[in-house]
Amino acid sequence: MIEFRDVEKHYDNNVIALDKINFTLKEGEVVVLKGVSGSGKSSILSLIAGLSKPTSGEVIVDKKHISKLADHFACTYRRENIGFVFQKYNLIPTLSVKDNILLPLVPVNLKRSELESRLSEQLTLFNIEEKKDTLVKNLSGGEQQRVAIARANINAPKIILADEPTANLDEKLSLEFIEMIKKMKSQKRTIVIATHDPLFFNLDFVDRVLNIENGKLL
Amino acid sequence: MTLLVALLGSTFFLSNAMKAEYSKKIKYTPDIVVTDTKAMRETSINREVVSNILAINGVSGALPRVYGSYYFTNADRIFTIVGVDEFETYADKNLNELLKSKSFEANSMLVSKELKELLKKSYYKDYFNFIRADGSLKKVTISDSFESEDTFHSKYMIVMSEQLAREIFSYTAYEATDIAVSVANRDEIGFIANKITTQLPNANVQLKEDLIVEYESLYNFKSGFFLTIFIISFFTYFIIIYDKMSGLSSEEKREVGVLKAIGWRVSDILNAKLYEGLLISLSAYILGIVLAFIYVYVLNAPLLKGIFLKNTELLQDYSLVFSVDYETLSLLFFLSVPLYIAATIIPSWRVATLEADEVMR
Repeated sequence: MIEFRDVEKHYDNNVIALDKINFTLKEGEVVVLKGVSGSGKSSILSLIAGLSKPTSGEVIVDKKHISKLADHFACTYRRENIGFVFQKYNLIPTLSVKDNILLPLVPVNLKRSELESRLSEQLTLFNIEEKKDTLVKNLSGGEQQRVAIARANINAPKIILADEPTANLDEKLSLEFIEMIKKMKSQKRTIVIATHDPLFFNLDFVDRVLNIENGKLL
Repeated sequence: MTLLVALLGSTFFLSNAMKAEYSKKIKYTPDIVVTDTKAMRETSINREVVSNILAINGVSGALPRVYGSYYFTNADRIFTIVGVDEFETYADKNLNELLKSKSFEANSMLVSKELKELLKKSYYKDYFNFIRADGSLKKVTISDSFESEDTFHSKYMIVMSEQLAREIFSYTAYEATDIAVSVANRDEIGFIANKITTQLPNANVQLKEDLIVEYESLYNFKSGFFLTIFIISFFTYFIIIYDKMSGLSSEEKREVGVLKAIGWRVSDILNAKLYEGLLISLSAYILGIVLAFIYVYVLNAPLLKGIFLKNTELLQDYSLVFSVDYETLSLLFFLSVPLYIAATIIPSWRVATLEADEVMR
């Protein structure tokens, strides 16, 4: 499903984020990328999502060479295959819960009934029906996280990427998030979580934990 | 931006209203107006100079006029009194028509409808007591009222016999306010004006063209005070546009990055920004125009009007006449809507074409 072949990622300031990374993830797997801040976890997620290109090497998702996609096709690839949950949620504060969740579907031009049905499904799944018309800037951290997950899940992506998803949550809300990940696993999603939160390391539904240090897989 | 459009709109509307008004006034202004001066101050002119002026080749007519302003203390308002000879034909067609349609006795007057209302409030229903220069009263009967065409200078207008006007202004039988000169050939106006100046060294000779230039410089937005306000507003507007063009805020950049990360293409982002810019600029334009309209035509441009009108004109309660210039509205539209949209789209396009990862980092 996801394959990294000798992937290197260097940033402009000569920082080597990833150094000859090789791994393969199977469809439906839940994988935790474990490592301290700056170890290269987020760079792996960016490369899987096609948000950036590797300096060298190949990123292959579903037999497609993501690293070679032009920007236009990379966007389409993301829209159809990726759901991204960011550390700081990255919601649009001036929009309501409903509008934030529907954002990935705006360019798709679905019928209104289809939009309503998908929205209702996500609102129920992540238990945020009551807040659907509230502006996200007025929500608590845990509620914002649920909106972010619903937004990542609404286009029924094959892959869910979560970057430090519990960094801004307390333990209770972190456990709630883990339950949500479980729900998404039951929907056959491939899930990659970049985190240094110990809560994720011994979960029964996590298939693998990959350790990263200084841009290298241990 | 709404406030800026409102400020520019108010300036344009005010300018248009005054332009419309002075165009009407200038239409009936004589080619040359001659007044007398003493110690470099304007004073009444001796009617006998008319024969000297008529003797100049090219002059087709010279008419001594008796008119002036009268301050009514009780209402703190200024009236315009025009003395007429009912057998005379004046350059002002409205005045001629008024004289044809309404007649008045020797000791009576015609007043504008607005003045009639004003006098009613001061309990003068059928007559009015003028105070002469020597302090004595002159009772004049109100015979009829008329609709004033030119609200700029004659909202509170009185038409009476020349003799009565002379009595109220304490003019002798030989005095007139000015002499209206008409010239057969427009190309000779300058030449004739020079001749009059040579013959009457103390006279102040004003040409219709000079009056047009004076009004233009005062009320046309391309010059004078209006130009100053226009330039200031324009400059402020371009600072706003420049600020928007020079780059997006970190919040806006993050927003573009998020949209890319969730699968929006550059074209999707630009479409959204186009609609956003269109909505903001169009609302600002419409709201700005409505505010300007209310300020100028409903509230009668408080403060701004005072800058452009003389105190005497303010005391005549000059109300701005509705006048819409589509060129002005189009200019405001092109300044606000397309420019603002461009200023919204260009920086968004710059950011959207970068890697989403780079934008969000």
